[in-house]
Amino acid sequence: MDYLALTLAGILSAGAPLVLATLGETLTERAGVINLSLDGTILLSAMTAFAVAFLSNNPWLGLLASVAVGIATASIVALMGPVLGKSQLAVGFILTLFCRDLAYFLGHPFARQLGPELPVWTIPGIRELPFIGQVLGHHSPVVYLSLILTVYLWWWLFSTRSGLDVRAVGEEPWAAFARGIKVQRLRIVYTLMGGALVGLAGGAFSLAVKPGWGRPQGAEGAGWIALAIVIFGGWHPLRAALGAYLFATLQVLGIHLQEQLPGLPAPLFQVAPFPVMILTLLLVNVGKASWFQDLTFRYPGLKRWLSRWQVTAPAALGTDFRPEKET
Amino acid sequence: MRVEFQDIHKYYGWVRANVGINLVLEPGRIYGLLGENGAGKSTLMRMLAGHTQPSKGCILFDGEVADGLNPSRALNMGVGMLYQDPLDFPALNIFENFLLGGRKQAKKQTLHRLRELGERFHFSLPPGEKVSELTVGERQQLELLRLLDLGVKVLVLDEPTTGISITQKEMLFATMRQLAKDRGRTIVFVTHKLAEVEELCEEVIVLRRGKLVAKLQSPFQSDELIKLMFGSEHEGIGKTQLRPELGKEKFLQLQNVQLLGDKYTLRDISLQIRPGEILGLAGLEGNGQELLLRGLAGLARVGKGRLIFDGEEFQGRPYLKFRQAGIHFLPAARLEHGLFPDLSLVEHFRLAFPERNGDHGQLLPEEGIKKFSIQAQLSTSARALSGGNQQRLLLALIPTQTRLLLLEHPTRGLDHGAGQQVWSHLLDRCRRDAALIFSSADLDEIKAHSHRVLVFYNRQIIADRPVHSLGVEEMGRLMAGQGRAV
Repeated sequence: MDYLALTLAGILSAGAPLVLATLGETLTERAGVINLSLDGTILLSAMTAFAVAFLSNNPWLGLLASVAVGIATASIVALMGPVLGKSQLAVGFILTLFCRDLAYFLGHPFARQLGPELPVWTIPGIRELPFIGQVLGHHSPVVYLSLILTVYLWWWLFSTRSGLDVRAVGEEPWAAFARGIKVQRLRIVYTLMGGALVGLAGGAFSLAVKPGWGRPQGAEGAGWIALAIVIFGGWHPLRAALGAYLFATLQVLGIHLQEQLPGLPAPLFQVAPFPVMILTLLLVNVGKASWFQDLTFRYPGLKRWLSRWQVTAPAALGTDFRPEKET
Repeated sequence: MRVEFQDIHKYYGWVRANVGINLVLEPGRIYGLLGENGAGKSTLMRMLAGHTQPSKGCILFDGEVADGLNPSRALNMGVGMLYQDPLDFPALNIFENFLLGGRKQAKKQTLHRLRELGERFHFSLPPGEKVSELTVGERQQLELLRLLDLGVKVLVLDEPTTGISITQKEMLFATMRQLAKDRGRTIVFVTHKLAEVEELCEEVIVLRRGKLVAKLQSPFQSDELIKLMFGSEHEGIGKTQLRPELGKEKFLQLQNVQLLGDKYTLRDISLQIRPGEILGLAGLEGNGQELLLRGLAGLARVGKGRLIFDGEEFQGRPYLKFRQAGIHFLPAARLEHGLFPDLSLVEHFRLAFPERNGDHGQLLPEEGIKKFSIQAQLSTSARALSGGNQQRLLLALIPTQTRLLLLEHPTRGLDHGAGQQVWSHLLDRCRRDAALIFSSADLDEIKAHSHRVLVFYNRQIIADRPVHSLGVEEMGRLMAGQGRAV
């Protein structure tokens, strides 16, 4: 029992930065913008967070700095994409590489240093509960933040007027424009907000989950995985978070299994999560296969159940919108 | 509200969409805005709705100049527009579509408003249903309710009768009259259908080639309106074209076919078609014509039954086999599903006739453009073509050996002259032993050109009759489910 609780707690903790990054990108993409720079942004913000925390000896200032870096890179995407109408994908790719190298270069003096970390909070009232206390009661603040944000963003996106506006802008910018919604402004704002969350993910890595800075830091690749999980999660905050936790579970399981099965080569456990994710993606999209549609034709109940899992991207994702240049 | 256009010009590159338009719209009146395709009707109204700005000139609301109009400002001033292609959010549900861009109020209140308005106009719009599941007509209804809820003072309707039934149309017209008379709303009804203008409008504004050519009071004279719309050189309107002779053998047979669509299933269809035969499909959108056409084209799956073409069974075969057998489908979404929006005319011809690529160079495309009088250059992209020219291009791309032509709304959005031209090409094909199956919302078109009519209601074929035994009125009744099944 203790073992299970500790494993679950480990998954919540290991998954936190990934959840934050997927939530951020989900928000950005819901508004119709693709910020492809996640992997670089996370590294640069992780480095900045650690450096600021190290210099000021205040991890909270470091966390704030990571958010600022996230917003800064997102603002380049917003400038090139929605504002100037250049390819969002191209600018994202370049930013990924640029931010990564910049992080290694600027972070060199801080590599392998011992710096401050975010405190671990104990939640009174929950900590004392059996099992649940062990899973949820004792975590870094970023873990709690990731949990709260998941639920909040889900509620906000599907139950509030501003959430509806964001979805509208990502689906049909022209229709949104015709109804007086400020498409450009919303796209820019939510690109920056999404970037802020991605930056926070970097801070969560270097100040809590994988404390410290180095080359490699350990956050490498997380941005790409987050981008995949956004699709896997169907641009839905709850499902995206679920996907991120699934990935974290696979990683944690890998570590545990490695201890249980010392005969198998270690790299196997490190790469196993990736094909498993691809398989899951296949399973989620099985509804589009024709043999499966035959099946749903025979059992209509299946279709209704499945339609809830159908994944469709925001219709205007990655497209340019400029009312002054209309046809 | 009094709306005044002062010397409005609108240019798109070299194209002059509107030239020097001066016009006053008084409150409480219903105006018809008439003109053929590309006459500049939509452009003028889109400027009023703030969707685009005039190149020169200004629009005045109650005597005040409205500068830099955008949709949100226009809506605030009280201008609402129902666009020809519904400008809504297919991925969201009805309630969310109704809410977007509207007043901020409690969810319960909004739901109440939606239900109340829906009941008043007898529209059935369940709030939780996705808009992508609706027909074009239903989407228009939703937009209309939304605009009425916003309390617009000037309501522009761009070709609103395309996808709705006769009863719904009468209801819509009654609503328009009521809004104009009792509430003092200004209503602009954009159309190219004369009958509707004569039925509804008190005043008609005719545009031709971007210019305002006339503003007339009711009652109108059809001949005069036609002359104004097309110019006096336009002869031969209303000339009936002879139907082709029928061949002997049955070359297309459906035996108890079940077709599986994305949204619904058509069961137990049995049909026979002879060469040269023209079959009209009548029915409200979403009642099965779409699926039958797609099934015959090889684009929908056959669940049960046999589909025999020229003695060969085709059920379960891939689309390519259907095409190779000489079956050709022209969808209603011409640009999206029929053409490659960003490819040029030459490229379209190259793709359609790969066997003639050899050393012909530009000969084939040039011939096609001339023969079908497509008004464009060889290098023009399909996206830049008008609706009529898109349809002409699609006709020009039909392979020579085509035996069965399937058309969805062959003349939708086309003016009378262009429609006649399309039909003369189609009839030509049928005289050369091709069979033709087409669906149309225009019952007069079905009456004028078919040998036989199938009427769809409730996703079933409820009538299969020779055209001479079925009048337009009865067709309309059957489509609306008010007739006995035959």
